[in-house]
Amino acid sequence: MSNLPAECPRCAFETVARLATSPVPGVWDVLQCGRCLYTWRTTEPARRTRREAYPENFKLTPADIANAIEVPEVPPLLK
Amino acid sequence: MAYDDLRSFLDTLDKEGQLLRITDEVLPEPDLAAAANATGRIGENAPALYFNNVKGFTNARIAMNVHGSWANHALALGLPRNTPVKEQVEEFARRWDAFPVAPERREDAPWRENTQEGDEVDLFSVLPLFRLNDGDGGFYLDKAAVVSRDPDDPEHFGKQNVGTYRIQVIGTNRLAFQPVPMHDVAQHLRKAEEKGEDLPIAITLGNDPVMAIVAGMPMAYDQSEYEMAGALRGAPAPIATAPLTGFDVPWGSEVVIEGVIESRKRQIEGPFGEFTGHYSGGRRMPVIRVDRVSFRTNPVFESLYLGMPWTECDYLVGPNTCVPLLKQLRAEFPEVKAVNAMYTHGLMVIISTAKRYGGFAKAVGMRAMTTPHGLGYVSQVILVDEDVDPFNLPQVMWAMSAKVNPKDDVVVIPNLSVLELAPAAQPAGITSKMIIDATTPVSPDVRGNFSTPAKDLPETAQWAARLQSMLANRA
Repeated sequence: MSNLPAECPRCAFETVARLATSPVPGVWDVLQCGRCLYTWRTTEPARRTRREAYPENFKLTPADIANAIEVPEVPPLLK
Repeated sequence: MAYDDLRSFLDTLDKEGQLLRITDEVLPEPDLAAAANATGRIGENAPALYFNNVKGFTNARIAMNVHGSWANHALALGLPRNTPVKEQVEEFARRWDAFPVAPERREDAPWRENTQEGDEVDLFSVLPLFRLNDGDGGFYLDKAAVVSRDPDDPEHFGKQNVGTYRIQVIGTNRLAFQPVPMHDVAQHLRKAEEKGEDLPIAITLGNDPVMAIVAGMPMAYDQSEYEMAGALRGAPAPIATAPLTGFDVPWGSEVVIEGVIESRKRQIEGPFGEFTGHYSGGRRMPVIRVDRVSFRTNPVFESLYLGMPWTECDYLVGPNTCVPLLKQLRAEFPEVKAVNAMYTHGLMVIISTAKRYGGFAKAVGMRAMTTPHGLGYVSQVILVDEDVDPFNLPQVMWAMSAKVNPKDDVVVIPNLSVLELAPAAQPAGITSKMIIDATTPVSPDVRGNFSTPAKDLPETAQWAARLQSMLANRA
């Protein structure tokens, strides 16, 4: 549809890919952040699609992503 | 009446006035989720919602809130739509006794009509995916019946698990998956990952209404959900063999997704607004690679809104949490009369029980915490007398206000296990648990002044029937 946005609304990463596009041409795209995997449709409200309107509570930093715990933990390999 | 697929149940909901077709064009976001959210805010007996005119889609069919009222839950069990909730739970418990009922294998599954394989798999082309809550990390499959097998015992039909788990779509053929450690699929995954092997998995969407109920039901590890579905339906559950994994999947599914959980891999997932009424996420979760999708022509995409209760989720996992706890408690304590575990999948439960002797009710409370489901839930137990209806919250509040001496009747046990999603846990997965004993003390527990309770008059039941009859005839 349109040009891809410059950054992820959630983590501000600058690589965003198009995951899907509307079956009716030109209505919307589904985009995804290459780092935090946040996925959004271009027709969603600003609070979900624009960095400046994205809720502070849900923003992620590179440290949040790097330090995220594993659930469930990967178990040790059996010998 | 047993339904073999979602479509036949939607037809019944339609005939019973419990399906609302929304034919005006809506936006995928926020309309679909907001409408489903609103079903929980318009009073009792809200209908299921069916959307077929969603902006940007050419062929979307979306069903939501299918189980989202007591009327719909009753119809799912083949009961009259006005069946009171307590009677629905009692009927559920009666049918449980028919377990196990062997399933019926059929060859002509309608989801064999269409297939995508390997590189051509594109979930966005099959499913009209959309976001539920503002903070969700993406689009979710949250009402699937997910099938996996025990890697150490793959031919054991009972150990084959059917469960509902949250699944985030993170690519055209990739999913992030949450196996809570207390749940059976987490045991399957652990065994596979200890050997460095992928875990094959089949994800079925848009199922008959009893399949959705058993998939969210806390059952023993080696009990088959299909055999329980047969008991609850009163007819064998129709199953078919999934083409890639060979797993047993519901015959009537709209969509069957097959692939593997990739061994020893974790990727950032979430958050997702959960049944606890809070988001959880920002954690690294297992990842599924999808290798095959089979689907009915013009599939109906079924989704479930969840958020601040009550939502469809609470109806779906209300009775199916009460009954296993009731059965497990009664196996050892026949004094247990009824269990209301309808709050947040049994994070809090209310149990009515007769007392064998002083201190007995507290023992029942402790046992509830140590049932298989209790290990991950049941962080608060309220015990009430055998003549208090645990589904009648004003009665329960009366019992708590009149019977509880907090110093002796409130017991808090520190550092017990709970599912990591429990918002009050500290750290995640660990919580204190509480018993509130609101039963009347019996000998040798002689505390309090309970010797002269005011009971309903002997003639009251007769008068209740007479008044109801007069009211009915007045109309």
